[in-house]
Formats: sequence, C-alpha cells, structure tokens
Amino acid sequence: MKFDLDSYKEISDSLMRNKRRSFLTGFGIFWGLFMLLFLIGGGNGLKELLSKNFSGFATNTIIMGSSETGKPYKGFKEGRYWNLEYTDVERLKHLFPELAIVTPQIAQWGVVAVNEGFSVNCHVSGLNADYQYVEIPAIKYGRYLNQVDLQQKRKVCVIGKKIYQALFPQGGDPCGQYICVGSVYYQVIGVNYGTSNININGNSEEDITVPITVLKDILNYGDVVGMICVVGKNGVKMSEMAPRIRQAIYRAHTIAPDDEEAMFLLNMEPIFKIVDNLFKGVNFLIWLVGIGTLLAGAIGVSNIMMVVVKERTIEIGIRRAIGATPFDILFQIVMEGIVLTLVAGLSAIVFSVFMLNGLEVIAHHETAFQINFGTAMAAFFLLTLLGILAGIAPAYRAMHIKPVDAMRDE
Amino acid sequence: MLIELKGIHKTYDNGQPLHVLKGIDLGIDKGEFVSIMGASGSGKSTLLNILGILDNYDEGEYHIDGKLIKNLSEKEAAHYRNQMIGFVFQSFNLINFKTAIENVELPLFYQGVNRKERHDLAMHYLERFGLADWALHYPNEMSGGQKQRVAIARALITQPRILLADEPTGALDSKTSVEVMDLLTQLNREEKVTIIVVTHESGVANCTDKIIHIKDGIIGETTLNTEHHASVFGSNTIMK
Ligand SMILES: Nc1ncnc2c1ncn2[C@@H]1O[C@H](COP(=O)(O)OP(=O)(O)OP(=O)(O)O)[C@@H](O)[C@H]1O
Ligand SMILES: [Mg+2]
Repeated sequence: MKFDLDSYKEISDSLMRNKRRSFLTGFGIFWGLFMLLFLIGGGNGLKELLSKNFSGFATNTIIMGSSETGKPYKGFKEGRYWNLEYTDVERLKHLFPELAIVTPQIAQWGVVAVNEGFSVNCHVSGLNADYQYVEIPAIKYGRYLNQVDLQQKRKVCVIGKKIYQALFPQGGDPCGQYICVGSVYYQVIGVNYGTSNININGNSEEDITVPITVLKDILNYGDVVGMICVVGKNGVKMSEMAPRIRQAIYRAHTIAPDDEEAMFLLNMEPIFKIVDNLFKGVNFLIWLVGIGTLLAGAIGVSNIMMVVVKERTIEIGIRRAIGATPFDILFQIVMEGIVLTLVAGLSAIVFSVFMLNGLEVIAHHETAFQINFGTAMAAFFLLTLLGILAGIAPAYRAMHIKPVDAMRDE
Repeated sequence: MLIELKGIHKTYDNGQPLHVLKGIDLGIDKGEFVSIMGASGSGKSTLLNILGILDNYDEGEYHIDGKLIKNLSEKEAAHYRNQMIGFVFQSFNLINFKTAIENVELPLFYQGVNRKERHDLAMHYLERFGLADWALHYPNEMSGGQKQRVAIARALITQPRILLADEPTGALDSKTSVEVMDLLTQLNREEKVTIIVVTHESGVANCTDKIIHIKDGIIGETTLNTEHHASVFGSNTIMK
C-alpha cells in the first residue's frame, strides 16, 4: 500500500469520527507538552526577572564602607567614627596590583530633580568614570562620564531610565538639556537604561550620576569618601582578597585587626554564586517536572491506545477479513498515533505560546517569558518521537489481531 | 472443482485440546449454491473459516481452483481473501463509523483502487440492492436487512470466486430472511457466483441446491435439493 490522499483520509476519518477516543488520547500529549513549554517559558521569565537585579554588575566586586569601630585599640575608645578617604583609594591601588579597578563614590539621598514643570524623586551618585567597569551602563542616549568631565568638574549628569521617563515624558534625546537637581543645574549627557539593583546607592533606574569631583564640592565632603568599590582582575579570588584589603585599611586608620564592625565589606562573589546555583536548581526542577509530565503523557497515550486497540478488535478483524495485510493495520495505527501526536503537540505549542504571551502582558512586557523557536522545535521533535514510540506497542498488538478474533467477539 | 477439501482436521487447543473437524472431504463446483447444516458446536463456523482462509487447519489439503491453500503467510492470506473470497456474517460486521458506501468501498481500498472508481462501483452495487438512498447513512441508522444487504454488497464488490455466508439470516426476521435469500439466489442464478451458506434454518437451506450435513466433525449426508422441497420458510422449522 502506498501513502496517498486516500490513506490519509482513512486515517483522518478514523480519528475524526471517534472524537472522544481521539481527544482522550491526544490530551495526554497536549498536556505534557504544554506543561513542559509553559514551565520552560515561565522559568526563563523568572530567571530574567531575577537576573535584572544583577545585570551589568561585575561579579568579582567588593564594596566597602566605614562604620563605628567595635573595639578599643591603641588608645582609641570603641565607637569611634572614621571615614574612608581618597588616600585609601590610592593605597589600595598601590598595595594590590591584583585589583583592576578601585573607585570611590559618594551619594546624596532624597533629592528632587526638575525639568520644565516635571519633577521626580531621585538620588545622586558622585562617581569616577571608571565606575562603568563595576556596573556596566546600558547607554540609551549620549554617553557615560569621562575623565575630562571629572578633571574639569563639569556639571554634567547621566540619568536613569525612570528619571528620564519622568522628566522627559515626550521622549527623544534629552542630551544637552539642563535639569535642576536639588539646587544645582546639570547638563544631561546620557541616559542609562541599566536595571541593576545592586548599586549600593539604590536602583540605577532612579539614579542620577554626576562626576564625584562635582558632588564632593557641592556637599562639602572634603577628603571623605562614601564607599569604595574594587574589582579584581580576571582569575583573582576575591574571597582571598577581602581580608587583606580589610587589614590594609585598618592599619592606615589604626583600627583593631580583629574588629569586624568597623568596616562593612560586601563580597559579591558568593552572592552571585548562590543566585547562579538557584538558577541551576530552578532549571533542573523545570526539566524534571516537564519531562516527567511529558513522559507520563506519552505512557498515558500508549495505555489509552492499547485499550483502544482492544476496543477496535472487531473493526481490525473486519479489515483483515476483507483483505488488509498486517502491515496495512500496523501502518494505520502508527500513522493515527503520529497524526494525533502532531495535532495535539502543535496545539500545545500554540496554546503555551499564547499563555506565555498573556504572562508577558501581565508583566507589562518588561520581562520575556516566551520560549524561543529552537526550544519549541526541540520539544516538538521529542514529542513526535515519543508519539511514535507510544504507538509501537499498541500497533504491534493490533497487527497480531486475526480475522477470526473479530468474528468470535460477539 | 473450485473447492476441494481432503482429510481436513482442526483441533482447538486452549488448555484442553478440542478436536472439532475430524477429516472433512468435500468438493464444491463453480457456480454451486450450497448450504451447510448441523447441530450447534458441530464445527460449521470452523469449517467456513477455513474455507475463507480466516483460520488455519492442522491436517489435510485445501485447494481453491487447484491452488493449495496451506501455510500461507499473513500477507498472502490477506491477498487471497481480498481477491477470491467474499464474506457475509450473521452480525453484519460493518464498521460503524463508516457510512454504507464507505463500508462497501473498503475491500477495494486495500486493493489500491482509486477513490473515484471505488466510489462508482460501490454506488453501483448499492443501487442494485435498492440502497442508493442509504449510501451516506451509518450502520446504526439502518435496519438489519439493509445492513445485511450492505454487507453482501461489500462481499461482492471485489467480484470474488466464492461467497461465504455464516448464518446470514440469523439476526433477521423471516420476511427479511426471505429477501436476503432471494438476493443470494439471484446472484447465484444470474452471475454464477459460487455461494456457501452455513445455517440452522431449514428454510434457508431449502433455497440452496445442495445441503451438506455435518455431524461430529465429519460430513454426514449430502442432499440434492434442486427441487427445493426440503422445507420452506415458516413450516417445519425444527432446526430453528
Ligand atoms: N477459537 C476457539 N477456541 C477454542 N474452541 C473453539 C474456538 N472456536 C470454536 N471452538 C469450539 O469448537 C466447536 C465448534 O465451534 P463452531 O463455532 O465451529 O460451531 P458451529 O457449528 O458454528 O456452532 P453454532 O451453530 O453454534 O454456530 C465448539 O465446541 C466451540 O466451542
Ligand atoms: Mg457458528
């Protein structure tokens, strides 16, 4: 027998005219694939949602800032205030060639920024140009701070996404315009669409970045530095660097070497590791549950098809009695299985894409939950394979039905 | 001889062997119209299944048109069934999710005949049997007599050498039984189809030209019935 339109009709008739049976069989596959794809898409979205908080941030970063001392040392009482200074920046650079970046920062909180009647709450970070290697900015318009801005103490700023949206609701490139931050006018030189939440100065979407040399004078900070960020060169173990950096600072400021409270020091490396492991765990779970559901679906389909073949003993016997060869029967059952799998599988893909799109709408299109084409195709081929495998045992059984079996079953 | 059976033995072995056919010798010529009668359990259906290559036999020889039918592969058996034999069953055995015409077409589908040709031929048979209006109906929308006529159309569409019927009137009332038997008689007379009918009913047997009695697994007496005096429908129905 050749496969032509006629055999196709024979298969589609058999499926279409036994809708309940076909539906039950196909549903297992549909549900299995839908669950797998929906979980993968949901997992991707979750991952993206989480990683937004870290995006663009150098993983081998240490952030440090001063605090009251916790122990008396060399004539100083405990509870003494001290500050990090620009000399500490130079000191760290000098002492530790393993560090690629040592950059200071100062911050101003609870500031209102105004532009032509639009205003927004924000915070201001005074940074060096090399801070961009700690937290990579996603520049939408213009540029980031540069060395010249700092040297010439230019009153320029890079604004975060939310600031931009609030102050320039009409959109467009705002570079060159002046905004009033607190009581100072800055010229906008760039818009940063970065989303990192790690910035100790708060969410970078609500941040206005200005040269540290400018902010320092405005706030009258003198030599005092709010925080220092350091980034290790490639391959440098930051967990080993952390205690050495702490001791170097303590020595310079006459602080007890075993004083844990005098300086907070945040090593980002283990945090990133935890998040990374979390992702791996979530991914593993998704695949486990998804593949499990899909397998259960396939086994269910195989089971149902087994029952169906039994139910169809008479029909198959009749076909055999009027001239169908065992191969004709095998072909018919396997093809029915494949067609059913494909239809159910394609519906599942369409349905899950639709549902994931719904999730995106709920998330205001800020997070991509959608599965990509490759994933869908891979799932589809996996499914087809499962469909064929699921159909083999029942088809084999059907093939061995003898015409007399049908005659006797009354 | 179109059909020749020599010393056919058949034993069912489901746990406990049951020797059903104990040496059947039988010859049937082309164009004959024969009935097989016998008590329940005497092996009539078993014999008919062997004649129709639906089942194997253990011993002896079975020839159709001189061709030995023995130890065939499933594929060859299917081929012979399709080409040479038409079946009619007591319970009609139509596929219930197919319309009348689709049921009639099915044997031709397995021959690889194209759809149009199949359809035309099936329609031709349905018209002949007065079923043109029922072509698009499903079996559960038809009466027993109509279903059996559809089944006969399906059996005949491949123009087989032999038409085998296992109690074709078993599920029909006597009026419809007469119609079906008239149809078979007509086919035998006009188209010279060789017909073998298994039956309990003497009225059915009386329509045929030769009555073969089977008893305890062997052929008993064979009665010639060309005058059709044996027993008519409704009278002397000892067997039913
Ligand atoms: N597949 C089978 N396996 C085991 N025994 C069988 C099988 N088919 C039939 N038999 C037995 O063989 C014997 C003959 O059966 P068969 O169906 O040929 O009788 P029959 O003459 O057609 O009877 P009836 O008039 O009731 O239809 C019976 O005793 C039956 O139980
Ligand atoms: Mg019987």
